[in-house]
Amino acid sequence: MSLLLQLVANGLLLGGAFAIISIGLTLIFGVVRVVNFAHGEFLMVGMYVAWLCASRLGLHPYAAVPIVVVFLFVMGAAMQRYVIQSLLSADAHIQVFATVGISTALLNLALLMFGADIRKVEFAFGNQNLSIGSLTFVSGQVITFVVAIVVAFAMHFYLTRTYTGRAFRALAQNRTAAALMGVDVNKTYVFAFGIGAALVGIASCLLTLQYPVFPTVGTYFVLTAFVIVVLGGMGSLPGAVIGSMFIGLIDSLAGFYVGPDLKEVVYFVIFLVILIVRPTGLFGLGRGSE
Amino acid sequence: MIPNPLQPRAYVAYLALAALLLLPIATQSPFVIHLAIQVCVFAALASAWNIVGGFAGQLSLGHAVYYGIGSYAAGLLVLHFGISPWVGMFAGVGVSALVALVIAYPTLRLRGPFFSLASIAFLEVARLLVNHEEAWTHGAGGLNVPLQIGLKWMIFREKWAYLLVAFGFLMVVLWICRAIRHSRFGYYLIAVREREDAARAIGINPVRVKIAAAVISACLTSLIGSFHGMYLTFIEPSSAFSLELSIQIAMFALIGGLGTVAGPVLGTVVVLPIAELARGWLSAFGNGTHGFVYGVVLVAVVLFFPRGLVGQLGGRVTQWIDKLPDFARARRVTVASLPTAVRATASAGEPILKVDKIEKRFGGLKATDKVSLTLHEGEILGVIGPNGAGKTTVFNQLSGFLRPDGGTVTIRDAAGHWSAPRSPEGFARAGVGRTFQIVQPFAGLTVLENLLLGAFMRTKGRDEAEALARSVAELTELTPLLDTEARSLTVGGMKRLEIARALATSPRVLLLDEVLAGLNPADVARAIVMIRRIRDSGVSVLMIEHLMQATMALSDRIVVIHLGKVLKEGLPAEVANDVEVIQAYLGKGYTHAQGS
Repeated sequence: MSLLLQLVANGLLLGGAFAIISIGLTLIFGVVRVVNFAHGEFLMVGMYVAWLCASRLGLHPYAAVPIVVVFLFVMGAAMQRYVIQSLLSADAHIQVFATVGISTALLNLALLMFGADIRKVEFAFGNQNLSIGSLTFVSGQVITFVVAIVVAFAMHFYLTRTYTGRAFRALAQNRTAAALMGVDVNKTYVFAFGIGAALVGIASCLLTLQYPVFPTVGTYFVLTAFVIVVLGGMGSLPGAVIGSMFIGLIDSLAGFYVGPDLKEVVYFVIFLVILIVRPTGLFGLGRGSE
Repeated sequence: MIPNPLQPRAYVAYLALAALLLLPIATQSPFVIHLAIQVCVFAALASAWNIVGGFAGQLSLGHAVYYGIGSYAAGLLVLHFGISPWVGMFAGVGVSALVALVIAYPTLRLRGPFFSLASIAFLEVARLLVNHEEAWTHGAGGLNVPLQIGLKWMIFREKWAYLLVAFGFLMVVLWICRAIRHSRFGYYLIAVREREDAARAIGINPVRVKIAAAVISACLTSLIGSFHGMYLTFIEPSSAFSLELSIQIAMFALIGGLGTVAGPVLGTVVVLPIAELARGWLSAFGNGTHGFVYGVVLVAVVLFFPRGLVGQLGGRVTQWIDKLPDFARARRVTVASLPTAVRATASAGEPILKVDKIEKRFGGLKATDKVSLTLHEGEILGVIGPNGAGKTTVFNQLSGFLRPDGGTVTIRDAAGHWSAPRSPEGFARAGVGRTFQIVQPFAGLTVLENLLLGAFMRTKGRDEAEALARSVAELTELTPLLDTEARSLTVGGMKRLEIARALATSPRVLLLDEVLAGLNPADVARAIVMIRRIRDSGVSVLMIEHLMQATMALSDRIVVIHLGKVLKEGLPAEVANDVEVIQAYLGKGYTHAQGS
């Protein structure tokens, strides 16, 4: 029983890490309507920046959050401004190729600059073991989870209470009508893309403490993030959070009961079933994938 | 089916391909020959991918699944059973075809990035399973192909022998791609890619067409995978089932030009050597150089020439090639157009399409409420009604785009049998042609090709289809525009094309959805004459129209639909003076005002 509880707790905590990555992805898709295949490489870049801050400046990754967030915001905004913007009315396959191209370029650039070695940061804070009853946690996981929940709520308030947030939602529903209501489409898209990337920046600082940094680290996380976002309904914020917890649980439970090398098969199969049977996502939120 | 080497386009292609084979052999440099082998392999992979990604427009990023299956099938059969890869590769083809069926069927309706995501997920699942099933796949460690040298084992001492085989595979794939591009099947793929609804309205079954493309592409990819596995002599899941490989394949096709025969080959020839050379020159900087080059090239191509090399430059180059001497011109014959067939009208006046109490609900709204009507052979039946009356909903049920919740739609075929088709393509095959209110031309194709697509349904070969297309063009005054791209037609031209494409399916019933709307008065007058001419050629016409004068002038009978029900049915004059009809259009206030 305590084993099961521990597995559930691990799953939810892992879900917290997935959530911050997925919120950024779903925001970009929801507003700009572009599936960002380079999202995982954003995470990878963020992790390398956090690692550089730690190894060169001795900064704790949590303290590096502002630097990484600004770095990724600029990167995301630049990608929207200089690549995606001119492709907004192009065919879907052109947009896919554009983000895939950026993903390939960034991944290999990291390989060129840092090699394939696995990098790690060593800090005590964030790696303490906590225990509640028979359950044990790593403090970094708990912090990640809490930050994820805070970010999700902050994002929710941002989207519902501020002008820019409302502009995001208006654009998500109808680009032309939003433009007629005075929303500066291009500027808002650049901003949305930047924020989506900045969220990944937060995630990368939190994850650098718990995971090693290597060029293909993003691929692992982003495939999971895609599963989550499709599961929760592309473009839906609550869907992304609930989906993250769900996949976190599956990861933890299937890893134990099915086998660590097959846990991903389990959630990819779930992903395919959702895509095929219910393309609007489990919770009926967001727009369909058809 | 083999292009005539006396024509300029053909001999230029032959010369270019011969250069790809002979120049590297002439250099005798193992590196150059290795490069040429890689070019042949990747050009073949990109061409095979192009059948799905280009012709059918489904952006698969998981094509390495079939490459991996091919490599593993051939490798494992050699290793465990001593079966020659020349045989083993067909086992791979069989498995790939099955896997393609399993993947294609459920993912058909996914569009754009979601299809790509699903294909990546399938690839990941395949890779993880191969890793997991160590007992017979050797797991993540990969497997070494036994080094038995000889043609039988597809393993050679000399590099040039590999190049010969690789080139042979490339030729097979190219020949199949070219055959598809110029066949009825190839046109169907393009039609489904461009506009699925319009394709269904001319009798194309999109499911069957897409699945066929997926299976053919998978089989070819698998074949190349088998050969490449033997060439590399080492097969491991992380490179055989890799996303990176899938992206590379798709990328070469995009850079060359999606949906063209020459594109994928050209893209590979241009980009692969650059990346490989960069890998050599810049190796001091570490791994990832060629991948970085690929990524940057891909983004640049997407931004600056998204239609690829062939799409961007193809027109100019073919013009230039066409100026070369043509040694085959004398033997070319033009196809004479058939005279318009006047059909037997012995059964004129008999019912040909019966609609019996059809109902359709959208949530709480009854969009169609027990509508019954009958179309008689040789008549023009006008369907009118105010905006939102439910005319187009009825129309969609008469052509299979919506299934009625209750009631039946039956049509009589030439032999006098009644049938109740269930899908748009079923209706088209039963003899119902339709147009769309918002025109749906296959914009990138010429007018002739648009008509050919319709004509393919009831003709055997291309020549016959072309003759039919030309006679339809004559009837709809499109003959001077046959070689124009559909996207550059005027509104009037698009509407005529819409009718012509439906007519090319040789329908017995033609459903016209607001074909006069938006036309200028001169075009309306031409269209009225044309619709009469169509009726006189033996086609029964049912038309929805808002233009009242034209409808009154054209129709033999008129059905008025209001609030989803048939309000009135009768001769034009009766309907025009009916109080209820006037009320439906203008409201009760108007009649009160008139009465006072």
